[in-house]
Amino acid sequence: MTALLDSAPLGVAVRIAGIDWSAMSEDEGRRLREFGLMEGVEITPLHRGSIFSRDPLALAVGRMRVIIRARQAAMISVESPVSEPAES
Amino acid sequence: MTGAVPTIALVGNPNAGKSSLFNALTGARQKIANYPGVTVERKAGHASFADGRPISLIDLPGTYSLIPASPDEAVTRDVILGRQEGERQPDALIVVLDAANLDNHLCFALELIALGLPTVVALNMLDLAERDGLTLDPARLSKELGVPVVPTVAVRKRGMAELLGAVDEALRGAKPAAPIAQVPTPSDAALHSRARAISRAATLSETPVRRWTARVDAVVLHPVVGFLILLALMFVMFQAVYAWAGPPADALEAGVGVLQSWVVENIPQNFLRDLVVEGLLAGVGAVVVFLPQILILFLFILLLEASGYMTRAAFLMDGLMAKVGLSGRGFIPLLSSFACAVPGIMATRAIPDEKDRLTTILIAPLMTCSARLPVYALIIAAFIPNRGVGGTGIGLQGLVLFGLYLAGIVGALIVAFALRRTVAKGNAAGFMMEMPRYQMPQWRDVALGLWQRAWIFLRRAGTIIAMTTVVLWLLLTFPKAPPGESQVDYSVGGRIASGLEVVVKPIGFNHDIALALIPAMAAREVAVSAMATANAIDAGDDEEAMAETLGERLQGKWSLATALAFLAWFVFAPQCISTIAITRRETNGWKWPMFMVGYLFLLAYAAAGITYWTAVAFGLG
Repeated sequence: MTALLDSAPLGVAVRIAGIDWSAMSEDEGRRLREFGLMEGVEITPLHRGSIFSRDPLALAVGRMRVIIRARQAAMISVESPVSEPAES
Repeated sequence: MTGAVPTIALVGNPNAGKSSLFNALTGARQKIANYPGVTVERKAGHASFADGRPISLIDLPGTYSLIPASPDEAVTRDVILGRQEGERQPDALIVVLDAANLDNHLCFALELIALGLPTVVALNMLDLAERDGLTLDPARLSKELGVPVVPTVAVRKRGMAELLGAVDEALRGAKPAAPIAQVPTPSDAALHSRARAISRAATLSETPVRRWTARVDAVVLHPVVGFLILLALMFVMFQAVYAWAGPPADALEAGVGVLQSWVVENIPQNFLRDLVVEGLLAGVGAVVVFLPQILILFLFILLLEASGYMTRAAFLMDGLMAKVGLSGRGFIPLLSSFACAVPGIMATRAIPDEKDRLTTILIAPLMTCSARLPVYALIIAAFIPNRGVGGTGIGLQGLVLFGLYLAGIVGALIVAFALRRTVAKGNAAGFMMEMPRYQMPQWRDVALGLWQRAWIFLRRAGTIIAMTTVVLWLLLTFPKAPPGESQVDYSVGGRIASGLEVVVKPIGFNHDIALALIPAMAAREVAVSAMATANAIDAGDDEEAMAETLGERLQGKWSLATALAFLAWFVFAPQCISTIAITRRETNGWKWPMFMVGYLFLLAYAAAGITYWTAVAFGLG
């Protein structure tokens, strides 16, 4: 079962199932990869926006914390890390 | 190797502790080409090997790879590849890694090592990695990477001698550097899996994550509480600028006064003495008095930056800034612009999106920079009564000042909104940023940063401001007025001002202001020194008039409506050559600085006019 990262619950670890690279610019995609956001990587959404907006989204990627916009999070599909990839 | 001093470049990811390492290696022996942004400007310094041979170090902007996403990252690539104009290709690289973030930082390190330059890796912030429960094996890491790895703790100066020793070793027998034509580009996925494998091999033991940072973030990034904390911090910052700066500013002012009377008593009356007392000391002194306020503002910015909080502030502000087409990235340059728009505009180099960056540059001058403080402080002290508002502890003067800051911010948001829909139209700005962990700011780094800012301000006071003040004094002193006529009105400067007065009369500006506006183009605070100089000349040897402060004299000559219009003018006026020059440099041409000057003058004229006419309608004229 996959969901989009922009609606994933905070504080729950998920695994990146897929990223729609074609929906984003080359620079955006490269920066995501430089942050270590790639298929198969485990991440945890941590914080979302302020009183003014649901943007942006802070994630834990390994020992690093990164901030991305909800628009980019919507291009990333995630799945529960316990489920076997073969099932999907 | 030739006999030239070898150049060694520090490279690494953002937040690897590069600047601290640079400070630890060079101490105060640094040369900053211009205004220092955080790590955005070209920073060079000197150090020496154990046997005393000198080396030159450059601190390159932090980046994630050799493919740049923003102008400052492009500088890093070009310097390393020997393509940067006016910069020799470095003879060796020191690649700085955050020991607690090897998975990620090794990617860039692998890319750099593949270039084949003599390279040494600094495994930095090893103490923090240990605090986080990581035990690493530097020898194993060195074996995997094929280059020397030196553990360092830059903030404690640990490992510096060993690091330079390894660099010395790496330079021996190295071929002379040559521009690199071919940059190897392995796929991101391959690079990452190699980085992860090496990181795993070099990690002896690991306990999960940093709880401390997570606990602080739960509060600081809370959607409501976090925002209130940010507001409270900003409030304390601007209050402190006033409350703490009082005593040292008074002391400086008294010092200038003592100096003036000493010169008057010890040097016979002549042309030179008048120039020094009425021109130099009155003018430069009026500006130097604001040094404490500027330093306090920078102290806060440096502390917020060094502790890791600034990125959290950017996170909290991003949602709001997105609504006018900007991004949280712009928050840091804009906050720096409260101190000075020049480092602020330079800090925009970290904004990847071109239109987002352009808009941030164009609105940066609307943030109330410290050069406006002298003007605001003078006028507020002279015209706004020093009393509380409705029995609360909030002072009316402080409230007016807050209002002026707010007017600048609101103006900036509206302008940004308009620009993003017209001349700077583009995609919704992105916002991708790494959040560093919290760190205790190092007093040495903060002190060094403050010293650099103080020096820049004083150098400005000693050069631009001193020169314009002296030129103005000469213009105001000649030709000598016949008895019975005002010297200031009769002089060359006074006549020029009379010409300008025609243009600014409709918005309530008088001869004094017209006179101050011209030299204030050099720097805003010169408006104050200009009025101080003009008044000192006008007072001449009249003891009583000399004793009056500038504020008291203005009170007698200006209406409240004029004073308010003058304040409104300075909220918007683009009066600083340095800002225009840096905008030209950062936008590569005259188009945008001219646009900026034009729109700001229009806004300033309109704002001053509306303020004046409204105030007059309420009977304050």
